[in-house]
Amino acid sequence: MGIKLKFNNIQKHFFGVTALDGVSFEIEEKHTVGLIGENGAGKSTLMNILGGVLLPDGGNMSLDGDAYLPSNPRDAAQRGVAFIHQELNLFTNLSIAENIYINSFPSLKKTPLIDKKKMNDSLKSLLKSLDLNYSPSTTVENLAPGERQLVEIAKALHSDAFLIIFDEPTTSLTARETEKLFTILDQLRSEGRTIIYISHILGEVKRITDDVIVLRDGKVTGNSETGLIEIPEMINQMVGRESDNLFPERSAKPKDSPILEVKSLSQPGIVGNVDFSVHEGEVLGVFGLMGSGRTEMARMLFGVDTYRSGSISIDGTPLPRNSPQSSIERGMAFVTENRREEGLLMNVAITENIGLVSLPDYCRNLVKWVDAKRMNEEAGIIGDSLKLKASDIRRQPAMSLSGGNQQKVVIGKWLMTKPRLLIMDEPTRGIDVGAKYEVYSIMDRLAADNSGILFISSEVEELIGIADRIVVMSQGEVVKVFEKKDFDVTALMAAAFREAVA
Amino acid sequence: MSKVDQLNTGRVGNVKILGRKILLSEFFVLYLTVFYLLVLFPFIPRVFSPYNIKNVLSNTWPLLVIAIGQTFVLITAGIDLSQTSVMALSSIFGAVIMTSEADPALLSKSPLWGIMLSDKGGLFAGTSAALPVGLLVMMAIGIMIGLINGFSVAKLRMPPFIVTLVSQMFFAAVAIWLSKSENIRHLPESFSRLGRGNFGPIPIALIIAVIIAVSAHLLMSRTLYGRRLYATGINPRAARISGVPTTKIIIAAYALSGFCAAVGGILYSARLEQGRPTLGNTLLLDIIGANVIGGISLAGGKGKVLWTVFGVVFFIFLSNTLNLLNLKFFVIDIVKGLVILLAAILDVVRSQLALRYSGGKV
Amino acid sequence: MKDRNWQRFILKNTTFILFVLLFLIFGILAPRFLSFKNLEIILSNSSYIGIIAVGMTFVLLTGGIDLSVGSTMYLSAVSSGTLIAAGWPIAPTIAVSLLIGIAMGYVNALIITRLKIVPFLATLVTMTVGRGMGLFVTKSVQVDFPDSITLMSTVKVFGFIPLQIFIFGLVVILAMVFLRLTKSGRQLYAVGNDPLAAERAGIQTRPLITSTYVISGFFAALGGFISITQIGRVSAGFGSGDEFDAIAAAVLGGASLMGGVGSVFPGTVLGTVMIQMIQAGLVYTAVDIYLHPIVMSLIIFFAVLLDSVRTGQLKKMERRTIMKITS
Repeated sequence: MGIKLKFNNIQKHFFGVTALDGVSFEIEEKHTVGLIGENGAGKSTLMNILGGVLLPDGGNMSLDGDAYLPSNPRDAAQRGVAFIHQELNLFTNLSIAENIYINSFPSLKKTPLIDKKKMNDSLKSLLKSLDLNYSPSTTVENLAPGERQLVEIAKALHSDAFLIIFDEPTTSLTARETEKLFTILDQLRSEGRTIIYISHILGEVKRITDDVIVLRDGKVTGNSETGLIEIPEMINQMVGRESDNLFPERSAKPKDSPILEVKSLSQPGIVGNVDFSVHEGEVLGVFGLMGSGRTEMARMLFGVDTYRSGSISIDGTPLPRNSPQSSIERGMAFVTENRREEGLLMNVAITENIGLVSLPDYCRNLVKWVDAKRMNEEAGIIGDSLKLKASDIRRQPAMSLSGGNQQKVVIGKWLMTKPRLLIMDEPTRGIDVGAKYEVYSIMDRLAADNSGILFISSEVEELIGIADRIVVMSQGEVVKVFEKKDFDVTALMAAAFREAVA
Repeated sequence: MSKVDQLNTGRVGNVKILGRKILLSEFFVLYLTVFYLLVLFPFIPRVFSPYNIKNVLSNTWPLLVIAIGQTFVLITAGIDLSQTSVMALSSIFGAVIMTSEADPALLSKSPLWGIMLSDKGGLFAGTSAALPVGLLVMMAIGIMIGLINGFSVAKLRMPPFIVTLVSQMFFAAVAIWLSKSENIRHLPESFSRLGRGNFGPIPIALIIAVIIAVSAHLLMSRTLYGRRLYATGINPRAARISGVPTTKIIIAAYALSGFCAAVGGILYSARLEQGRPTLGNTLLLDIIGANVIGGISLAGGKGKVLWTVFGVVFFIFLSNTLNLLNLKFFVIDIVKGLVILLAAILDVVRSQLALRYSGGKV
Repeated sequence: MKDRNWQRFILKNTTFILFVLLFLIFGILAPRFLSFKNLEIILSNSSYIGIIAVGMTFVLLTGGIDLSVGSTMYLSAVSSGTLIAAGWPIAPTIAVSLLIGIAMGYVNALIITRLKIVPFLATLVTMTVGRGMGLFVTKSVQVDFPDSITLMSTVKVFGFIPLQIFIFGLVVILAMVFLRLTKSGRQLYAVGNDPLAAERAGIQTRPLITSTYVISGFFAALGGFISITQIGRVSAGFGSGDEFDAIAAAVLGGASLMGGVGSVFPGTVLGTVMIQMIQAGLVYTAVDIYLHPIVMSLIIFFAVLLDSVRTGQLKKMERRTIMKITS
């Protein structure tokens, strides 16, 4: 019973970016271990390696002293390791029992038929032990998110997993469901299973774990018994990363006149009563952890998604709902967090990508003839000003660029519209230091030209480095607004984690 | 030139590079057509006779117009199976408006009898307004059906395949119902001239087809609509965030497809000198096939009018030469099918090659 | 919350509700419609297209489509006709025609899974080539079948079930058992629900997808044979357009073109019978025969529209929440 796990000098790089840099630690058997760190600290990468989703570039792992290197999730399952992802991996059109047995259906005597009775009966006590009061033949589609999570847990238990990884298990659960999950975690522990618990909610970590491992920039920065460490100390170990980001000096101060005013923006289950404003020449930082509702809020502002109540206005005039087109006409711009899916036309030339939003400005007469020559020239100028590294920006497709240069194309496409308000959602994610600096400089330049910038990030250091004020969001609500003089890493983190700072 | 090319000195290397260039060229299908004809020429010298060329060309114009309409929809990653019914329905309506004489024995059971149709002919029988009104109504029908398709796909979010399949069944049935399966004859001379007549030495159908092809080409490659059409086909989510009104773009693509099908219906009806309720009902394979051979991707975002032109030309020459070889129609169908399959396979290969040789890292 | 459950119920059972409504309407307008004889005719007419629609359901479940079934019917039917004319006994003839169906399905599967051609295009090609090959065999001459074949349609199994209905029933039961009770059947649903997750879970997707096209080809050949026993001859247009009827029946029965959703029973069976019922009902209520396909396509459009509304609604209900719900 129970598994003793050992990581030894694990290394992992993605496209030249270091995700894990020599991670070593041990997990005692029958322990529940909290794994914490900022977004991008390497938690998911490490767990994906443990769960057989990724292979490490270096280092080794052992389970109970035996070498362990799963090449796929099934390998991991056979060694007793189960990974419950944040995005559940269930077939919604199948029953609970079928999801659990998807690759190991019991057959009826010697026929090719499934022994449904045996299958369902074998799970009844398991489901009951998880307090999931449904028949095993219930279709997953009919279950609430929290109940689906329990199905995932049942899957892990059924495959005799003795090391179970939970990745942010409570983000989509109600308070009551969360309590239930904790009871089950206690029960699993008492059965002698080892649990790794990843969470942003430090109170939960404090409450249910035996040990806490802290990751920062792909390295272990803390490893202690939970009883011996308080929440502020956890936060200290998570932040204070060696800041390799340099920030340009801000060249102008924000003005008093507001551009964007958001009043009690609400959408049930997503965001509630969000209020804030962005002024001329201001870089307003929005800090929040993944799943805090910041991206959803940005999408509502820009008109990609709809909202139930509240108002959004630009320069004092309300903005129509659900129309990115009119948002653009009113001078808004939106750099989305996922440039691949929502930012770029991957196999289209760079200049055409840059010109896409401004196309109407380069049209003549009734048939909307595009003045391609002028557009390409101006897109070229934008490209140059962004120091885009490409050999032929009129022919080369966007997909041939590096991540940082792709991001510059997305930003360039919005700069070409001379935006009044630029929303940037995680604009520096996955790009190198030099490109980051250039992105910050662009923000500064725009702000100096009296535009407003809404800068969403989960890296608190960069917000402190460039923003004029920072709005902290958590669970769909604005928790606190920090003025520049009050900027403090620990205080910001604490607000985002909704923890009272001692 | 890239390093790879420089390294490949020697004849083998050169042949390889040339092969790759031809394979990846825009004009690949055209080269293929020429090559195909040159190979077949010794066996069927008639293929280049003036009569045959004229015949081939007269078959090309209507199909070209219709296939170009389909190209618009394919670029949005949709499909329009209803084009054939657009042809049929507009053919019937055009005839009902223009015909100068209707046989009660055949048509008195039509629901339009007594309303739009009588033994004295259609609504505008014999008047000079017959032709313009007839043409306008035919085109309007195409656009209207296209708008219905587009609305269902873009607004109601129904799958294009089933939407256009159902509208194909529906409007084909309406055409047959309105005409009680009878062809409507006695169309004005001015109308049939569109299909058979010449303007000077040039066939009128050619002029119409060229006008449509050139306008479609300019629309796709030079205008705001065209750019937005590709953006919608390549990545609808990114396009929407970039301010592209994707719903309108898609609806317009289906409307254009319907319009082109109606114009194709005009050309065919004019050539046959009748309104025919089954017009075009065997044409779907040719329309889709010509597009696929031309290299238009069913996955959306990829295609040009020029490619469609080449695809249609190849397809027509293929049918024509197989006819000249005195092959039975079913053998011709088999060959056509296999050629479309080969084209689809080739397209998979070409895209992989193109990716390898153009998308290299900086 | 109760309202939602109601909504869900209606959204999930649109076909059944539509079926009952239409049945009642026709019954009221034309009481003879409800006669036992008429109901038997409806079932009997449903058999051959129903068998093909069952095969189509398998393909649709994985998110594919099979346009070639009409041509498969034709090719296997004319092959058996030719063999019978050449003096072959009936049993091996049937076996050969079914094998041809399997072969057609396998070819489709190869083109789709190995050459990576989209199902629509792949089966559009085999549809054309298959019919061409059939016409090649017959030289486009009509093929007539001897009485030994046509008499089969009058056979009553157990003395009261017409043979075609019996075979249809058998096919439905087998398909149902396969889809509901076997490992492959359940995995098929998993593949249609989320192909990537299915591969991650270690499901062998390629053989599963291959099997659906083989099954579709087999049932197309079988359906073709049933049809021959009823009409006794095969003309050049035999089976042409039946692919669309089969798709319509499956879609009407709730199968989604996106895969993962659909059932043989009640789904596709209900869809098939509904189509035949509407046709019979229109005859009984003396609606102009030219209007039949118009009414039919309107009903299918309506069903598909409801399906897309349903999918949208169900998706909305599944959206994850961010805010803490304190309950």
